[in-house]
Amino acid sequence: MIASADNFLDVAWWSWLIVLLPLSAAGLIGLLGRVLRGASHWPSILGVAGALAVSIWLFLALPASPAGSAAGHGAPAAHAAQADHDAPITHDAQSAGRMDAPVSVPAAGISYFDWILTGAVTTQAVIEARLLIDPLTIVMLLTVTSVSLLVVIYSRDYMRDHHGHPERGYERFFAFLALFVASMCILVLAGNFVLLYMGWELVGLCSYLLIGFYYPRPSASDAAKKAFIVNRIGDFGFGLGVLSIYLVFGRLDYEGVFAAAQAAFNAGDPQALATLQDLLYLPSLQAAAAKAAEIQSWTTAICLLLFAGAVGKSAQIPLYVWLPDAMEGPTPVSALIHAATMVTAGVYMVARCGPLFTHSPLALQVVAAIGCATALFSATIAVTQFDMKRILAYSTISQLGYMFLGLGVYAAGSAIFHLYTHAFFKALLFLAAGSVMHAMNGVIDIRLCRGLRKILPITAWTFVIGGLALAGFPLLSGFWSKDEIVVAAMAFNPVLGWLAMLTALLTAFYTFRMIFIAFFGAERTPPEAEHPAESGRWMTFPLVLLAVGAVFAGYLGVTFGGAHPFAGLFTPGGRFQAFLAGPLDSYRLALEASGRHAEHSTVLPYLAAGLSIVGILAAWFVYLRKPAIAEAAARSSGPVYRLVYRKYYVDEVYDLLVVGVAWLLGLFLYFFDRYVIDGLVFTATLVPRTVGFFTRRAQLGALQGYALFMVGLSVLVVLAVLLTA
Amino acid sequence: MESWLLTIMIFLPLAGIPQIVALDDRHAGKARHIALAVSLLSLAVTCYVIVLFACRAWGTGEQALEQRLALMALSDNSGAAGPAFQALYHVSVDGISVWLIALTALISPLSIWGSYSYIQERQKGYYSLMLLLQTAIMGVFCARDLLLFYVFFDLTLIPLFLLIGIWGGPDRRYAAFKFFIYTMTGSVLFLGGILYLAWRSYQVNHVFGFDLDMLYGLAPSLSAEEQKWLFLAMFAAFAIKVPLFPFHTWLPLAHTEAPTAGSVILAGLLLKLGTYGFLRFAVPLFPEATWFFAPLLAGLAIVGIIYTALVAWVQDDFKKLIAYSSVSHLGFCMLGLFSLKVAGLNGSLLYMVNHGLSTGALFLVIGMIYERYHTRSMKDIGGLAQRMPRLAFFMVFFALASVALPGLNGFVSEFLVLLGTFVSNSTYDGYPLGPLDYRYAVVAALGIILGAVYMFWWLRRVLFGPLVEPRNNHDPEHGHSFLPPDINARETSILAVIAAACLFLGVYPKPLLTSMEPALRSSVLNVVYTRPSAVARQEDQRHTRSLSEGLNTQHAGPRTAFTPLFSIEG
Repeated sequence: MIASADNFLDVAWWSWLIVLLPLSAAGLIGLLGRVLRGASHWPSILGVAGALAVSIWLFLALPASPAGSAAGHGAPAAHAAQADHDAPITHDAQSAGRMDAPVSVPAAGISYFDWILTGAVTTQAVIEARLLIDPLTIVMLLTVTSVSLLVVIYSRDYMRDHHGHPERGYERFFAFLALFVASMCILVLAGNFVLLYMGWELVGLCSYLLIGFYYPRPSASDAAKKAFIVNRIGDFGFGLGVLSIYLVFGRLDYEGVFAAAQAAFNAGDPQALATLQDLLYLPSLQAAAAKAAEIQSWTTAICLLLFAGAVGKSAQIPLYVWLPDAMEGPTPVSALIHAATMVTAGVYMVARCGPLFTHSPLALQVVAAIGCATALFSATIAVTQFDMKRILAYSTISQLGYMFLGLGVYAAGSAIFHLYTHAFFKALLFLAAGSVMHAMNGVIDIRLCRGLRKILPITAWTFVIGGLALAGFPLLSGFWSKDEIVVAAMAFNPVLGWLAMLTALLTAFYTFRMIFIAFFGAERTPPEAEHPAESGRWMTFPLVLLAVGAVFAGYLGVTFGGAHPFAGLFTPGGRFQAFLAGPLDSYRLALEASGRHAEHSTVLPYLAAGLSIVGILAAWFVYLRKPAIAEAAARSSGPVYRLVYRKYYVDEVYDLLVVGVAWLLGLFLYFFDRYVIDGLVFTATLVPRTVGFFTRRAQLGALQGYALFMVGLSVLVVLAVLLTA
Repeated sequence: MESWLLTIMIFLPLAGIPQIVALDDRHAGKARHIALAVSLLSLAVTCYVIVLFACRAWGTGEQALEQRLALMALSDNSGAAGPAFQALYHVSVDGISVWLIALTALISPLSIWGSYSYIQERQKGYYSLMLLLQTAIMGVFCARDLLLFYVFFDLTLIPLFLLIGIWGGPDRRYAAFKFFIYTMTGSVLFLGGILYLAWRSYQVNHVFGFDLDMLYGLAPSLSAEEQKWLFLAMFAAFAIKVPLFPFHTWLPLAHTEAPTAGSVILAGLLLKLGTYGFLRFAVPLFPEATWFFAPLLAGLAIVGIIYTALVAWVQDDFKKLIAYSSVSHLGFCMLGLFSLKVAGLNGSLLYMVNHGLSTGALFLVIGMIYERYHTRSMKDIGGLAQRMPRLAFFMVFFALASVALPGLNGFVSEFLVLLGTFVSNSTYDGYPLGPLDYRYAVVAALGIILGAVYMFWWLRRVLFGPLVEPRNNHDPEHGHSFLPPDINARETSILAVIAAACLFLGVYPKPLLTSMEPALRSSVLNVVYTRPSAVARQEDQRHTRSLSEGLNTQHAGPRTAFTPLFSIEG
């Protein structure tokens, strides 16, 4: 396959197009927006479609790694107990004997130009504009660009009123959307931490711009500001993490840092030390040994700092507060940025930095704990909300928590798998909610819109499909991916596993609470909706496509065959994870080292499926069959219900304790500045003033006087010079 | 002829002044065209200078286009060969000054162009002073002689004092005097320092002179105590100019009262005189003192970053907000400088250029709003994006450049400054351990959050939300300067030029960084790391040798064969 690898390098060189096509679409709309107006969606659609096309081209050109090609055929039973879990990976002929042998990764790192010169002499001096294309990148690219394309197509109608006239800011919307796709692709394609940071900040910017799209509305512009600032708090940690990496490793490119980290944690091996010396330009093996110790002592700090960025971007506790507010943006934005793509950047980053995270058990425990806590916490909030988009927002936070839980229990492949399936069904849910909103003229409160199944058939049924996938209903995409995470968590720590199970139950419940209220039962539409009708084809077409994805996307991660017909179905693996085996290899190695990998389980999946169905039935019973129960329950649990309904008052507490205190501090410092510091200066001027008061007589205001003074001073200086010389 | 090129570049703007003064009062409106034309001509000459510099000293950053004239040379009766008293006219460009000169040449015509509609009274005087100011700033950056520097340094004071005092806001007199007295106090102490230094030079070299090339060699013969006092004398002038906390209180007032172009030049160019002064004089002339004061100054810089960011946040007057943000940003500049690492110095110098562009542009934007609404209070205006979408675009753009969004210029310099500070306690750049460590950077990085806080609060209140406009929009005093609701073609072009520069420097800062680095190494860091104690000197000779080897291969990508001289301690 050598020729193929060369070919891949050639193809990979073109990946700059993935960034440039949407970017130039954004630029084009920015410059010609006034001319394009109602046709502004075309550059965006074409740009994003181009990016998707190049991504597919990359995918096709990717040389099959030995592991990937073998695992495509499933896991033969020849491999003993363990093989079920890591079947896709151990198929590598060489690694079959040695469990810790790394899998070869088909990857292409391409440097385009020198970006920042750090002035270093003994280490890497240049931070390049460098892209890295490997299977993980490609999975992310395909997910991002395909969902983006559907969302852009959907927006063509969504951003118009019922007479087909473009909304105010139509061209601005599509320019920002294209800019977002370009930024997200930078994030995903980045080959070093600085470029990653660039993508990271740029998607944050696009998020800011799009949340504040309806900027005359104070709530929208407040939400935008909040999103940016809260993200910045995370980025503070992330940035320090990047700087720490440079401090410790002296370089910032992924390959170098990761390889050095691996070598440093294997420092007993002289070969590894030599590698480390080579990678970090160290003068001697002794220096390499010292460096290895330094790296080991810094890794946890680096991981926690990087994870702070992920907490901000992926809306985890304690920085999740911006995401529900971000629903102020147009719904396609919520679907694309705040559900399917941008918010998953943190998950991607942690998965990408596996070689660092897997060497810090503490960091991964933090990741797992925060993920699990967030998943449960926001699921409880989702149960009490009435705004469809907000319910979905809390659900997104919860599902992101699942992904972090997966990462924290070393199931990175499953986390990315869930990221990928989630992108489809959550985008679907948001777009369908947007379709409701479009039909209801902006109203999305499920207390006002009920029984919409008849009016909006396509929307309703695609929503139900998305809901089933989200609820983890058997055989739909969400089931496969969530199940893998639950199984992995259970094996790792039963507490985490059972909490994840509980969350799954809640998820099914709140999803179908929303569905049963909004789409079933007696029909009721808000007065604002004058002529409620199903949306046009530009909107329903993406819905249907995404629904197909929500049903079938999960089968990429399913292993068929095995000991008995269904055995393989419930084991993590399949094509999807085999494809990602290389980039996520560090997680596999760490899991094996920890000896806690998932037991082959036939009970848990049935249990998870059962819980999902129980949740759905409970929602049906409470909200369709006996609606009185819900109200009674809400009333009887008064304070608790209110606490959850008001989202545990976290926003209020932050406003008071963080913003309020900082503002007061600012005010205090301002007065301090004006009256104390400036006052001191004023006091200092009193000295010359007093002198001046007494010597005023000497100043006749005439030029001669000053001249005399200057001459006198000069004479004194000269005298001083002569006397001391 | 070529040796005169720099002189032509410096003094060309003055050529416009007689033309302007000779104008008939009825045609006073033409003054602005003359000023702009002359300033653009000066920009053209500067471009030529940069090209010549690029051809000669790109990779080395050495002085190019030097001109050296003895203004005064007196000999004493000691019988020594050379003159005993020497005042030189000595100008040159090197990798440190060339980009600041370019910035001056770019910002000056833009701020003149930006004054077209705002200045309606005493135009002749105004534009003459603008040209004088340009000459003075150019002179400061070109001067290679300490006395010449001092003359230009003080010359910048007078035009700006008058610009604020005559064309400023309601409180202009007080602001102008405060500005003047503050800066003057600093420069008097500076003058004392210069004279003492010249006298020491007389003792050592038998020349009572101010030529930098000579004075740089003086450091070993100065005692540590002397260095500290001399450093403090220079500190007085430069710290006030920067302004470094707690010497900053003149700045917000001067900014709020100054006319738009005054603020642009003040923030964009004049503040850099302070940081440039540290970089060019205080640090390399007194290396021992630099080592002594570096942690202290870095500490002040960090306090300034956080303190002024918080103060900026609570302002109601948004010109004051940007003024305070300037202090905060310059704190980063100082921090990078005193990390005494190549990355930090590179970042600091680049920061000067970037801050000049983005903050200059923000002051222009504020001026454009002020010209239309005659208020700078955020209580009176809001939601302007609806009325002025084009202005909103640029305002957001420059705010993003200012909060260091990657892809725009501010990021590269802020990143380098923080990187330099973070790795100050390492030997990656080939020099021994620096004075700071990562803890400084961690605290300073809080400024990243606070910068976003006040900037986005500002955008939120001025641009977004429901439209709020003052009721009495056209006050009779300014009634004749009719402007369209959104910015016009002239204003758009000014901002677009700066925006293009910001974008370019964000994506491809390499040309600047490549030409700065060798100059910073040879004329600042090599000196700083040559400390007078004998052992240190021996070590450094070894080190300088290896450094020149290192420099030759520096941009050939990561080296594997290179062995550093200083292994990492601990």
